[in-house]
Amino acid sequence: MPEVFIDNERYEFEGDHMALQFILDQGMEVPFFCYHPSMSIPANCRQCMVKAGQYIKDDETGEYELDENGERKIRWFPKMQTSCALKLQDGMVIQTQETSEEAERAQKDTLELLLINHPLDCPICDQAGECPLQIQTYKYGPEGSRFEVKKVHKPKRVELGPRVTLDAERCINCTRCVRFTEEISETNQLTIVSRGDKNYPMTAPNQEFDDPYSMNTVDICPVGALTSTDFRFKARVWEMNQTPSIDITNGKGCNIDLWTRDNQVLRITPRQNKAVNDYWMPDEGRSAYELFNENRASRPSIKLDGSNQSNTSWNNAIETFAETIEAHSGDDVLVIGSPHASVEENYALNKFFNLLGASNARFTPHIIDGYGDGFLITDDQAPNTNGCRLLNLNETDHKDLATAISKAKVCIILSDNLVGRKVVAASDLGNTYTISFATNMTETAKASDLVIPITCVAEHAASYVNIDGRIQRSFPAKETKYTNRRLNLEMSEGRLDRYGTNFDNWVSEEHKVDCLPLWDFLNKLAERLGLDYHVNHSRTILAEISSAIPSFENVTFEKMDEQQGIQLNLDNQKIKQK
Amino acid sequence: MVEDWKSYEPLLIPDIPNLHKIDVYEDNGGYEAFRTVLGDQDKWSRKNVTEEVKAANIRGRGGAGFNCGLKWSFMPEPDDRPRYLACNGDESEPGTFKDRNIFEFNPHLFIEGALIAAYAMSIDTIYVYVRGEYIDWVNKFEEAVEEAYEKGYIGNNILDSDFSVDLHTTYGAGAYICGEETGMLESLEGKRGYPRVKPPFPAQKGLWGNPTTINNIETLANVPLVINNGAEWYQSIGVEGHTGPVLYGISGHVNKPGVYEYPAGMPVMDLINDVAGGIRGGKKLKALIPGGASTPILRADQLEGVSMDSNSLREAGSMMGTAGMVVMDEDTDMVDLLWRITHFFHHESCGQCTPCRDGTGWLEKVMVKIKNGNGEIKDLDLLLDMTTMMEGRTICALADAAAWPVRHTITRFRDEFEARCKKSVHAVA
Ligand SMILES: Cc1cc2nc3c(=O)[nH]c(=O)nc-3n(C[C@H](O)[C@H](O)[C@H](O)COP(=O)(O)O)c2cc1C
Ligand code: SF4
Ligand code: SF4
Ligand code: FES
Repeated sequence: MPEVFIDNERYEFEGDHMALQFILDQGMEVPFFCYHPSMSIPANCRQCMVKAGQYIKDDETGEYELDENGERKIRWFPKMQTSCALKLQDGMVIQTQETSEEAERAQKDTLELLLINHPLDCPICDQAGECPLQIQTYKYGPEGSRFEVKKVHKPKRVELGPRVTLDAERCINCTRCVRFTEEISETNQLTIVSRGDKNYPMTAPNQEFDDPYSMNTVDICPVGALTSTDFRFKARVWEMNQTPSIDITNGKGCNIDLWTRDNQVLRITPRQNKAVNDYWMPDEGRSAYELFNENRASRPSIKLDGSNQSNTSWNNAIETFAETIEAHSGDDVLVIGSPHASVEENYALNKFFNLLGASNARFTPHIIDGYGDGFLITDDQAPNTNGCRLLNLNETDHKDLATAISKAKVCIILSDNLVGRKVVAASDLGNTYTISFATNMTETAKASDLVIPITCVAEHAASYVNIDGRIQRSFPAKETKYTNRRLNLEMSEGRLDRYGTNFDNWVSEEHKVDCLPLWDFLNKLAERLGLDYHVNHSRTILAEISSAIPSFENVTFEKMDEQQGIQLNLDNQKIKQK
Repeated sequence: MVEDWKSYEPLLIPDIPNLHKIDVYEDNGGYEAFRTVLGDQDKWSRKNVTEEVKAANIRGRGGAGFNCGLKWSFMPEPDDRPRYLACNGDESEPGTFKDRNIFEFNPHLFIEGALIAAYAMSIDTIYVYVRGEYIDWVNKFEEAVEEAYEKGYIGNNILDSDFSVDLHTTYGAGAYICGEETGMLESLEGKRGYPRVKPPFPAQKGLWGNPTTINNIETLANVPLVINNGAEWYQSIGVEGHTGPVLYGISGHVNKPGVYEYPAGMPVMDLINDVAGGIRGGKKLKALIPGGASTPILRADQLEGVSMDSNSLREAGSMMGTAGMVVMDEDTDMVDLLWRITHFFHHESCGQCTPCRDGTGWLEKVMVKIKNGNGEIKDLDLLLDMTTMMEGRTICALADAAAWPVRHTITRFRDEFEARCKKSVHAVA
């Protein structure tokens, strides 16, 4: 097998490899900026310099030639090589900054040059703390600068489009953003303008950077040149807490991270998953953070007389719920599951009411034909349509659902804004006693007789099956009134979460929502009704699903965590790809 | 060194009135080489043409001096992809203005050379990329192209053969970097003139990803001479290792600046004193930049016995470049000169590579400081260190071209630079 020698260690390789990626894959490091594994290689930052050469082989014997000391002879390449664009060859010798002073010097020089025209405004820069330029300067840069003349000035605070703001002085001209719009989103909305040290990225005259994926450039910009207009100046990254999750705004299930501070989600960024979204996500999914913070259903509410809802206690809500159920037979109760809710919630709700004699829950897919783009934006507007299908919920179209509602005496709706998305009108709900399990005060929740606030994807661990049949799960990122990070081992703790006191900024009780996971509420209701039903957690619900429904066989949170989601068996007829 | 240059008769731009007109060109043996090749494709198979040109060793006149025929032989075997010849008439290196004379006085010689090159490499499309500021010459050249089309030298089934080729003329928008061969390819594709990372080389992946060869205008103008007279004859002109006629563009403090055609290997002092009429105003020669702004400057005392060919100039500590000679007299201020050169490269860096983008600007800014009398000795050492930070670490050779003049002008005229760095002169004393 072909071999290479990196920092005096021998490695075997097969196929085509560029040195930088190969080195990174071995767990070693060479600093870099312009290289991105999912885009073309322009080799323009010149940061990833290594010393490279080739052991000389005797053509006839195929053996390495030796010098008088018995050492292999090396033919060094005349120039330093950018490792990102250096293709591995059999017998290649590479020395990184670890073993070559020349490489170390070249990397240091490049950093000195990168910084001469950089504003060095880390204290007010959003990127600080997660900035490759900052990190690599500390690690590989010079002690100081010999630059004593004037820096170049460039446009600042340029709104390239509705969501991205440019500070051209911070730009290191790596062209990642430009290549993104050329190669990934294919809108070609960005280019570099001007020449030499005056250049910077820009849109064509009078054009807007309104690419539906524009904010990915903010993520890949290795400095603070491209910032999210929305997130700008909102938080220092080290004050936030990063929790893996799933994008619930469409059917793709992009893997994401929720960034929280004081139990508010402040931003959403993509998390790499080669099988789903690579490094990217649509801009739409990023604004979903507002759903987790704003307009939440908090404390149960009840309609007493007329159309006015008012908050009520959990005890009263449970009592009202139980009395309503007791006053009706199972046939009178219509249960509506939701493609917007998780697998566990749909299953638990359906099972609970099955025990009470109600027929199988229905659900209505939330699909807008033609909305998708074949990339990460889908026609499906919900994260778990296939989950509902695999759970054998009763897929019902708009008309049939409206008919069913008109016949039911009691209607139980699991977080789905049926009114808002025009499946039914608010008035259709008027003739039945409507109970909504709601994360947000949507039109549907507002039209309901009883609203039970439940946790959203940012507050619970639960799974969702995407349009391709992949099941993936969330982690709790925000505390509710009834949870505590220190006790919930699934929750991550940021610096302020762990060490903050009430005297610190960004430490308060304010943003904890008064809601329960659906299964917790059902436990309480079962107890009140004397029903033989109890589940501890979404994890136990999933265990039950996995033994009851073949499509979910062997599916566990642990396995999903190990494999970044699990592809469910697509042979099942019910899986539709849309 | 060429001794008998006085008897040399120009071959590239002979003194024939109206030679730019196709009839006149034909009357003087024009397009004979191309006819010969197409007329006897057994003798002049594609391979044989390439071999002949290779044997002649026409050293690329665009600056790098690479054997023209050898470059042609890098083209892969024809497949179903289009193949291109990109002719480099960007001519933007300060001190260089010789291709312009070909466009003006003997455009058909170049066209003929390009056609033979296209034939030899089975190329179907020729692009001629001309410096944008040469718009008058673009227009003149396009007239010549039109004539050649009308006469059937360009187009389909040329001279009733099975060979067809098209020729398009286009021009730049004022960027030196579009003369760098892959920067030019990007520009031809309608993109920013960002030089490409090599490999892949243009012969493998050139214009729109297809096999492409890039040659300078003057280089190609030599090709018909080789076909007409043979490689051996061509090798007899000039000196060993550097042969053929060369257009010397002489500028600066001489009495008769201009483009002069003589064999490669001309004695430098003969070119300055005899051909260009000596230094203006009877002054003394101080320095020479032999081949465009990027080639290292030589002091007058380094020029003794030096001739204009790559070997001799390398020994002297410089390069042949484009043979655009900038002659400087004793009054020339080396600090001003170097500032002006750093200004040029700062202005022209495309800005892709960090060492070039930021290095060229830093070089100029330190030079401005020195020029304005605010320099310190440490600035000179900083400048020299910066040349190390830039050289050999970038995508194209512009960074090298920017670094060399700094290194060599400072080391070869260090006294003058130190004298300008007054501040620390006092501080040290
Ligand atoms: C920055 C830069 C600018 C250049 N400008 C020109 C130019 O204006 N004209 C030219 O013929 N070659 C220029 N060259 C050289 C070309 O890259 C290339 O070597 C040449 O066109 C090849 O032709 P030749 O082999 O016939 O000389 C330049 C090179 C560099 C690095
Ligand atoms: S804005 Fe950022 S991503 Fe774009 S070129 Fe500049 S540094 Fe690179
Ligand atoms: S060396 Fe300079 S001109 Fe050449 S590609 Fe790099 S930045 Fe551009
Ligand atoms: S990462 Fe290799 S040159 Fe930028």
